[in-house]
Amino acid sequence: MATTRAIKLRVNGADYEGTAEARKTLVDFLREDLGLCGTNIGCEHGVCGACTILMNGETVRSCLMLAVQAEGAELMTVEGLAKATGELHPIQEAYREKHGLQCGFCTPGFLMTTYELLQKNPDATVDEMKEWLSGHLCRCTGYQDILESVKLAASRLRGE
Amino acid sequence: MASPEPKLPSELPVTQPRYVGKDTPRVEDPLLLTGRVEYGGDIRIPGMLHAAILRSPHPHARIKRIDTSRAEKLAGVAAVLTGEDVKKWSRPVFGVPEGWTGYALAVEKSHWAGEPVAVVAASDRYIAEDALELIEVDYEPLEPVVDAVRAAAGAGPFVLEGKESNLAFDRKFVFGDVEGAFAQADRVVREKFRWYRSSGNSIETCVCIAEWNPVNNMLTLRGSHRSPHLILPALVISLGIPSTQVRIIQSPLGGSFGVKTFARYVILLSLMAKKLGGRPVKWVEDRIEHLIGSSTHAWDRHYDCELALKKDGTIVGLKVKLIDDLGAFAEWLAIGMLLKPLLALGSCYHIPNVEYVCKGILTNKTPQGPLRAFGLPPHYWVLEQLIDMAAKELGLDRIEIRRRNFIKKESFPYVSPSGNIYDSGNYEGSLDLLLEKAGYPKLLREQEEARSKGRLVGLSVVSSIEPGLTGPPMLALASPKIFTRTASPEGVLVRMDAFGKMIAEVGFPPGGQSQHSFVRQILADYFGVTVEDVQVITVDSLTMQPGTGPISSSMAIALSGAILGAAARLADKLKRTAGVMLEASPDDVELMDGQLRVRGVPGKALPVPRVAGFMLMRPDLLPEGVDGNPEATYVWNPPDRTIPDERGFGRYSVTAAGAQHLCMVEVDRDTGLVKILKYVMVDDCGIRLNPSVVRGMLMGGLAHGVGAALLEEYVYDDKGQILTSTYMDYLMPTIMEVPAAEEHEMCTPSPIAPLGVKGVGEAALHTTPAAVLCAVNDALQPLGIRITEAPFSPLRIWKAIQGGQTA
Repeated sequence: MATTRAIKLRVNGADYEGTAEARKTLVDFLREDLGLCGTNIGCEHGVCGACTILMNGETVRSCLMLAVQAEGAELMTVEGLAKATGELHPIQEAYREKHGLQCGFCTPGFLMTTYELLQKNPDATVDEMKEWLSGHLCRCTGYQDILESVKLAASRLRGE
Repeated sequence: MASPEPKLPSELPVTQPRYVGKDTPRVEDPLLLTGRVEYGGDIRIPGMLHAAILRSPHPHARIKRIDTSRAEKLAGVAAVLTGEDVKKWSRPVFGVPEGWTGYALAVEKSHWAGEPVAVVAASDRYIAEDALELIEVDYEPLEPVVDAVRAAAGAGPFVLEGKESNLAFDRKFVFGDVEGAFAQADRVVREKFRWYRSSGNSIETCVCIAEWNPVNNMLTLRGSHRSPHLILPALVISLGIPSTQVRIIQSPLGGSFGVKTFARYVILLSLMAKKLGGRPVKWVEDRIEHLIGSSTHAWDRHYDCELALKKDGTIVGLKVKLIDDLGAFAEWLAIGMLLKPLLALGSCYHIPNVEYVCKGILTNKTPQGPLRAFGLPPHYWVLEQLIDMAAKELGLDRIEIRRRNFIKKESFPYVSPSGNIYDSGNYEGSLDLLLEKAGYPKLLREQEEARSKGRLVGLSVVSSIEPGLTGPPMLALASPKIFTRTASPEGVLVRMDAFGKMIAEVGFPPGGQSQHSFVRQILADYFGVTVEDVQVITVDSLTMQPGTGPISSSMAIALSGAILGAAARLADKLKRTAGVMLEASPDDVELMDGQLRVRGVPGKALPVPRVAGFMLMRPDLLPEGVDGNPEATYVWNPPDRTIPDERGFGRYSVTAAGAQHLCMVEVDRDTGLVKILKYVMVDDCGIRLNPSVVRGMLMGGLAHGVGAALLEEYVYDDKGQILTSTYMDYLMPTIMEVPAAEEHEMCTPSPIAPLGVKGVGEAALHTTPAAVLCAVNDALQPLGIRITEAPFSPLRIWKAIQGGQTA
C-alpha cells in the first residue's frame, strides 16, 4: 500500500504540487513540508484552536485533518495575512494596538477566526464575536483585550 | 561612580519620560502576529531526529522486562533509550529536600501513570510513535499510594524503593504566641478545606532539542527553556557534566506559567542525545503528555485551619495544618510551593500569631512542578473563607471585619510575623476605591432582591498581596546546605554602536510579559533615543550575565534594576569622554535629554551618539581608565535580603503588591453552574512601566483564577489512574467563562524597588480563586450550604445542593 499520495493545493496564493504522506496531519504538512511554521499546535485534539487556518474561506482545525483531505483546496494561513512588504493586516494592527496578545502562541488561530468572521459578518455583534472566539484557548490575556481587538478591527474594516 | 538608582520615573535623566509609564507598542508583536517568530517547535537542524516517549500505564508497577528489539529494527529508528542507559549514565533527578526523587525515566518500577519508560529516536515523529507500539514491557502492578492523608499517617506502601515512608517534608513553623492567642480568643472558627491539583497549561507545550557532541563533550539544548539557572544545576548534578560544557539556547516561549523549566525531560532528552552519539534529537511534548506526564501539576492540598478572633472581629491567631500531595517525587523546587505562604501568612491582614504546619507527601501521581503564584492562592482562599465564616458567626459585616484587620497605611514598611517585609501599601484606600467603583451598596440591594425571588446570588470582597521577587532564601528551609544564599541576580549588558544605536543583551527570551519592550522603554528614556533605536537580544546560558529570568513576579523589579545599573555605568563613561570633548571636568558634565552637557554653561552640550562614536573612533584621545567601548554590564540583586533562621524568620521578597477584588455570582440551582455577574479589581503594583501590559497580565491572571476556582482539576480514580488527559476532561476557561472585569489602579510606589515598581506577573491568580469561591459560598448561604472542596465544578455544587448540607 502506498504511503504517499500526490497532492495539489494553493496556499496563501501560491500553488503547490507534490506528494504528502497519507497519514500526515494538515498542520504537520504545512509546518514540515511547506515550511509554514506560523500555524502552531496546541492540543492536537481540536479544542484549543491554535492551529486554525482557512480552507476555501472557512476556518478548520488543521490538526484534525489529514493533508490529503486538502487536495485541490485553497488554504490561507497566518502568513497570508500581512503583505509581503511586512505591512500588517488591519486585524493584526488592531490586535497590536489593543494588546490582544501576550506570548502570541494562540494568536495565529484567533487571527484566522477573526478574519473569517469579519469577512462574513462585518457587523458582528459582541455576542457573535464571543461565540466565534469561544473555540479558542488563550492562557495569557483573559480574552478581554482580544475582544477589544476584534471590535476595533471590525470598525476599521467597515471604514469607520 | 554610578549614580544612585532612580526611585521614580521622574528621576530618570529626562525632562519628561516619553516611554516609561506609558502605553508603548510592544517590540515583540509584529513577529508574533505574522507567524514569523521562531518558537522551539519551529527549529530544524540538519540531521535532527525526533523523539517519542513510551509511558507507564500503571500508577505503580515493577518493570520486569523491556524488549526493544522489534522497535529498534523498524526502518527509521535510530535508537531506543531505556532504564538501563539512564541508570548507567545519570543520577536521580535533583530535588529539595534531597533523596525523594527517581531517575528521569522509570528504572526498576514506575511511580505514576504517565511516567516515561522508554524513549525512541527516529527520522520523524510518526515513525517514533510507531516504534513505541513495538516495545514490549512486562509490568507487575503494585498497590498504589493514592490517599495522601493516609500516607501522611505513615501507612504503606511506599512510593520510592528503599524508603520506609512517603513523608518527604514535614515542618512546623510558629510565629508569635499562638497558644496564648487562641486561649484568649472570644471565638475560634475551624474548617477543613480541599484544593485539587491543576496546572499552568501554556498553549505551547514543552520543547527540547538536545545535541551532545561526543568529540568535545558539548551538550547544546535548544527549545522552550526558561531560567537556565534552574535547569543547569539539575543537569550538572544528574549528568555529571561540567557546567561549561552545557549551552542552553532559549527560544521565545508560548507561555510558561511555571511549566517551562521541565528539568526531568531536559535530562531525559540529553541522555537520548548521548546515546545518539552527536545527532540532535527533538522532543515536542503533546498535550496528553503535558496533562498527564509533565512536572506541572500543582497544589493538591488538604487543609485543616483555625482562625481565632476577638468579639469585635480582631484576628488574634491563625493555625494552618496542611498536607500537600506532591505526587511521586519531591522534585526540584516543588517544596518551595509549600513554603511560599510563609511570606504572607496573614495576607493583607495583621495576624500577629500564626502556626503553619506543612507536610509534603509522596503518592503515585504526577509529580508537582512550579505553577504561577507558587502555592499562595489556596492559602488566600482558606484565609478569606475563614474570615467570611467569622464575620457571619460574630454578626459582623464582611467589609468591617476586613477593615479592622488590614495592615494600616502608616505601618509600612510592615514586618510580617515571619519576618518578611511588605514595602508599601494602602489597603483601606484600595478597598474604598473598589467599593465605590463597584457601587457596592447597590450590589447589596440587587443581591437582596434576587434572593427574595429565590435566586442564588452571592457577593465577595477579598484581598491578597503578591510578593514580588521571591527567591532562594525560602528554600534554605528545605535544604540549608544548598540554599545558603540571598541572591536573585538579574544581569544585562548594554552597548552603544558607532551609529548611536543601542543593544541590550538579556538572559531570557520573550515569553508574553513584554520585558523586551520595557528594556527598550527604560533605555530610550535614559539616553534620549527612540525605542526603535534599541535592539534587545536574548543570549544563551554561556554568554548571559548571572540572571534569574521571569520567575516570581520579579522582572519589573530586577530587570529595571539591572538596566538602570548598566545605564548608570555607561553614562559615567560617556560623561568622562564628554569631559575631554567639551574641555570640562567630568564632574561638571551631566546627562539629560540625550545630551551630555556642562552644568550651567548653556550651549556646551553633545548628543549621546556623538560621544559614543568618539569613544569607538578616537581611543587615542580618551581619558585615563576609559576604554574604547561604550558598553557596561550590571548585575542587580535585591537589597537587604536575609537567610531565614531556624524558626523560618527571614526577609524573603522585595515588594508586596496589594489587590482587592469584588465578585458577584449567580449559581444555577438546577445545574450547579456558576455565572460571574460582576467582577471588579483594584491592584496596587506601584508604578506601572507599561499600563496596558499590567492590565493584560491582571486580566490573564483573573482568567487563570476563574479556571482554578471553577473548572480545572486533574482527577484521579481510587486506583491512582488519571482521568483527565485531554482538554475535553481538563476544562480550560474560554471567553464564555471569563468575565469582562473592571480594573482600577491604586498606586503606592515601592520605596525599595527601582522606579517604584512592584512585581505583578503572577497577578490576579492570587486573588481571583478566593473571590469566586467566597462569592459562590455566599450565594449558597440561604440553603445552609458551604462547599469546601475546590474547584467548585457544577457537579460538586449540584451535589452539595442536592445533599442540602456542607459538602
